[in-house]
Amino acid sequence: MSVDFNTDCYDPVYSVLGVPATLTVAATVVELTVLDKTRRKTVASGGAEVSSVGPGVKVRMLELAAKGITVGQWDGALLTFNGRSWIVRKGDVLGSPNGEDLGQVWLLLKEAAVG
Amino acid sequence: MVDVREDILARLLVVVAAIPSIRSSYRNNIETAENQLPAVIVLDGDEETNEANNRPSNSPILVQMTPGIILQVSDANTAGSVVNTFRGDMIKRVLFDTELNSLIAKSSPRGNGAIHYLGCQTDVGWMRTGYAALTAQFMFKYTLRPEQL
Repeated sequence: MSVDFNTDCYDPVYSVLGVPATLTVAATVVELTVLDKTRRKTVASGGAEVSSVGPGVKVRMLELAAKGITVGQWDGALLTFNGRSWIVRKGDVLGSPNGEDLGQVWLLLKEAAVG
Repeated sequence: MVDVREDILARLLVVVAAIPSIRSSYRNNIETAENQLPAVIVLDGDEETNEANNRPSNSPILVQMTPGIILQVSDANTAGSVVNTFRGDMIKRVLFDTELNSLIAKSSPRGNGAIHYLGCQTDVGWMRTGYAALTAQFMFKYTLRPEQL
C-alpha cells in the first residue's frame, strides 16, 4: 500500500503549522503556505562563534507547481511571511518517498533589507 | 611590577577597538551575537622562548608572543570585502602604534624586540546576512625580565 505524503503527511502539518506567505518572482506574485523554519544558528571561525538565526521556510513542491513556480525560479525572489520580508538565496529540494516533485523545498533566506 | 606581556595585550585591545566602525571589542570573549558586529576579539595567544643556554635562571629571556585577533563582520554579499578593509586598517594600526612599539623598545633596549604581522586565516558563511571572519596573528618579540614580575 503506498502512502500519499502530500495528503497523509504534508497537508495536515501545513494546515496546522503553515503560515501565509507571498512570493514575488519578477512581476509574478503568488500566495503560498509555508512552514517557518527560522532557527538559531551559530557560525564559527578561529575558535570564536557568532550567534544569529538561519532564516528559512519549507514549501510543498506541489503547491509551487500549481502556482506556476518552477525549480530555480525562487532564486532571488522576495518572500514575505510572519511580518518580515526576505530574499531567497537558494532552495534545497528535499524530495519525498513519492518523488521530489511531490516533496518539499527548503528555501534558505537572507535579509531583504541588506540586498 | 612590570608585565610586558599584559601591557602589550591591554594596549593591543585599545588599538584594534579604535578601528573605525567597529561596534564591539573584547579580549578572550569567543561568543558574540550578530547585533554586536562588526566585532574584534583579542586572544591572548601563546609564548615561546628559545632558552636552552646555561644561564642563571633569573636571566632576561627573549620571548616571542603570538596573540590572535579575530575580526567578525556581517554584510549582504560583500562581507569578504568588508573584512579586508578592516584587516588593512588593523595591520597598519598595530605595526605603527607608538605605544606598542615603545613597550617593545623599552623591554629590549638592545634593539632585539620587534612586532611582526604573521598572517591570517579567513572564514565565510551565512546567518541572517552574509558573514565573514578573519583571524590574524602578530608576533611580539620582547624581553622578559623575571625580576620585574
